[in-house]
Amino acid sequence: MLNFRCPNCEITADETDLHCDGQAHIERFGAGASDDDLETYLFMRHNPKGVHFERWRHVFGCGKWFNAARCTVTLEVFGTYSAQSLVPPKSLINKIKKKRPEWEGFVK
Amino acid sequence: MFSVTGLNGASSNGSINVKDAGLIGMITLRGDLKSDAIAKVIKVVTGTNIPDQRQCVFTSKGATAWMSPDELLVMVDYESVDATIAKMEKSLQGVHSLIVNVSDARAVFELTGSSIRDVISKGSPADMSSKILPVGEVRRTRIAQLAVAFWFTSDTTARLVCFRSVAGYVMDWLENASEKGSEVGFH
Amino acid sequence: MKRYSAFAIAKNALSHHQGWERAWAKPQMKKEYDAVIVGAGGHGLATAFYLGKNYGITNVAIIEKGWLGGGNTGRNTTIIRSNYLQDPSAAIYEKARSLYETMSQDLNYNVMFSPRGVMMLAQTEAEIRGYKRTAHANKLQGVKTEYIGPQKVKDLCPIIELSGPRYPVLGALWQPRGGTARHDAVAWGYARACSEMGMDIIQQCEVTGVTQSRGKVTGLQTSKGDIKCKKLGIVVAGNSGHLAEMAGFRLPLESVALQALVSEPIKPCMDVVVMANTVHGYMSQSDKGEMVIGGGTDGFNNYTQRGSFHHLEETVRALIETFPMVSRLKMLRHWGGIVDVTGDRSPIISKTPLSGCFINCGWGTGGFKAIPGSGWAMAELMAKDEQTGLGAQFGLNRFQEGRFIDESVAAGVAH
Ligand SMILES: Cc1cc2nc3c(=O)[nH]c(=O)nc-3n(C[C@H](O)[C@H](O)[C@H](O)COP(=O)(O)OP(=O)(O)OC[C@H]3O[C@@H](n4cnc5c(N)ncnc54)[C@H](O)[C@@H]3O)c2cc1C
Ligand SMILES: [Zn+2]
Repeated sequence: MLNFRCPNCEITADETDLHCDGQAHIERFGAGASDDDLETYLFMRHNPKGVHFERWRHVFGCGKWFNAARCTVTLEVFGTYSAQSLVPPKSLINKIKKKRPEWEGFVK
Repeated sequence: MFSVTGLNGASSNGSINVKDAGLIGMITLRGDLKSDAIAKVIKVVTGTNIPDQRQCVFTSKGATAWMSPDELLVMVDYESVDATIAKMEKSLQGVHSLIVNVSDARAVFELTGSSIRDVISKGSPADMSSKILPVGEVRRTRIAQLAVAFWFTSDTTARLVCFRSVAGYVMDWLENASEKGSEVGFH
Repeated sequence: MKRYSAFAIAKNALSHHQGWERAWAKPQMKKEYDAVIVGAGGHGLATAFYLGKNYGITNVAIIEKGWLGGGNTGRNTTIIRSNYLQDPSAAIYEKARSLYETMSQDLNYNVMFSPRGVMMLAQTEAEIRGYKRTAHANKLQGVKTEYIGPQKVKDLCPIIELSGPRYPVLGALWQPRGGTARHDAVAWGYARACSEMGMDIIQQCEVTGVTQSRGKVTGLQTSKGDIKCKKLGIVVAGNSGHLAEMAGFRLPLESVALQALVSEPIKPCMDVVVMANTVHGYMSQSDKGEMVIGGGTDGFNNYTQRGSFHHLEETVRALIETFPMVSRLKMLRHWGGIVDVTGDRSPIISKTPLSGCFINCGWGTGGFKAIPGSGWAMAELMAKDEQTGLGAQFGLNRFQEGRFIDESVAAGVAH
């Protein structure tokens, strides 16, 4: 069972109280953008075997979005943070690096 | 106007007592919970302070529950909802906020008994231990596939809120989960 | 290689079945191949098979990190149908279905193709309209399907509860020549045929890197050493994103877990495949008598080959609604596979930014049925180095051009 601590209401909820909405920190492009940028925004996704940054929503709880760092191979949750962050917090990145020295770091 | 609750007075008496809490005035207020204007208006209509994260606070006048970082549930007498809303809107003029009467969109259950935590645990992923969910704290989660919120008002009493349209289902569910002979004895 | 036949069984019985030869060889990896396929699942093996059969390219290696057929090919619920909505999909899935009809003869290997009929239940008004539309589209595409009413559903599958506690059964899209096949046998049959053509199937060998020079693929790094190749086909389903990363490009897909389960064997009780997409569950009965059951995918990226428990619960709930008699059945086994899902729920059979490197992926939750058609198309793509034929429309560029092959609306559950 996947458990996340929602940073908005600070409750630990399991995946059935939550909804995942895929990769976090996607750069958005609109009308007038190049085909490449639009394609990347709409369809291209990081799909790593390992550390993944993603958006979750506490649907059955406080209803708010948050971001999480999770390992797609072990399902370990490294941490959660505000959905309003443009990049993951430094402290979280350091924590993951300590646990996964081979990890190449956060890429947008 | 003649109003009835979604539960229409239903009750059951198994390992816990489940009963329709009756008509309750419920107002959703969204806005910046840190603002003085909102604190002031809450004080006026329910007599409470802005509750801390996840808390539900009461006075003899009413209650206020923390629902999310920008949402409160304001509970007052059913009859006084319209007047309360008018008062709130007036004093929050110019302050970014959203006020909605949800009284008839919800059903409220009154739960009594010593095994409420066990009963809810049968269908909710929430951690029901009294350490994680002490008296006075609101938990928003699900029962079966449905969104619910509940909080303990004492060690042996709790309130549970769900959408009115599923009130009958939740009643059946609670009745079933508290059937005599199905006690778990965990919490 | 000796042919399988009734006569061969009788003859081998005399020697207590000690005389059978291995179905496929256990070769040493060579230094260089004309073409290397990564992934010995159904799609990879079928690609190799048609490279040899249709284009005479037999200096081929198929590299597999585990054992052949041990990926999704060995984990799926084996539904075969071709009642898709869009023309390019109907074409490739129908090609595949028709190749299934003769596969046992073509491969001299019994894949137990059983065209018992597949029905997709319509349980809402929207589904009725959707399936009628598909039936009309199929008529134009030359795919034999039919929209049937509830009485016919009950006649074909008496154990279905038509009134349903949540959703009644209002009708169904019926494909009489859809069905199932023995998943392992499909992989084994292709493996045996590839081996016979002189191709090398290298198992227990993980590809760890792709080497390139001036924008062109030159070879692979593997756990058993480096090899050179002129052409490279990546056919690794859920691991596609990972392999693409090695080759230096990104893919428009995400890998998620899909689960299935089987019950204890019981007496024959249903001789069709039933999919109930609104309540999210489907079921058929295997030749052993087990009820073979599947449901939906998890909502998050996952490589663990096991899914969330609550999805299993949902699937079982859906089945009990649809087939109340299964409520007493014990479940024997339960497992998961990693499926690769694209934005339009259609596969990718494509050239890539790396010259000489081709990719076949994105079959998501429903690629078993496509194995022979997919291999056919992928072999053509690799042999001709040209986006043409059955796979012409399935190129990666469709996402950039907004030219989707949108099957996501047609079926919530697309197995
Ligand atoms: C539970 C479940 C039920 C399904 N039900 C159906 C159904 O009813 N009908 C239907 O049509 N489809 C169904 N599918 C989908 C179907 O199984 C797949 O689309 C299909 O089997 C994919 O075949 P493949 O050959 O592409 O992949 P796989 O069979 O997964 O083969 C890929 C191979 O690549 C290998 N590999 C990966 N990485 C590497 C590496 N680095 N080096 C070397 N080798 C590597 C893997 O070990 C694997 O053997 C289902 C899938 C699942 C999981
Ligand atoms: Zn929350």
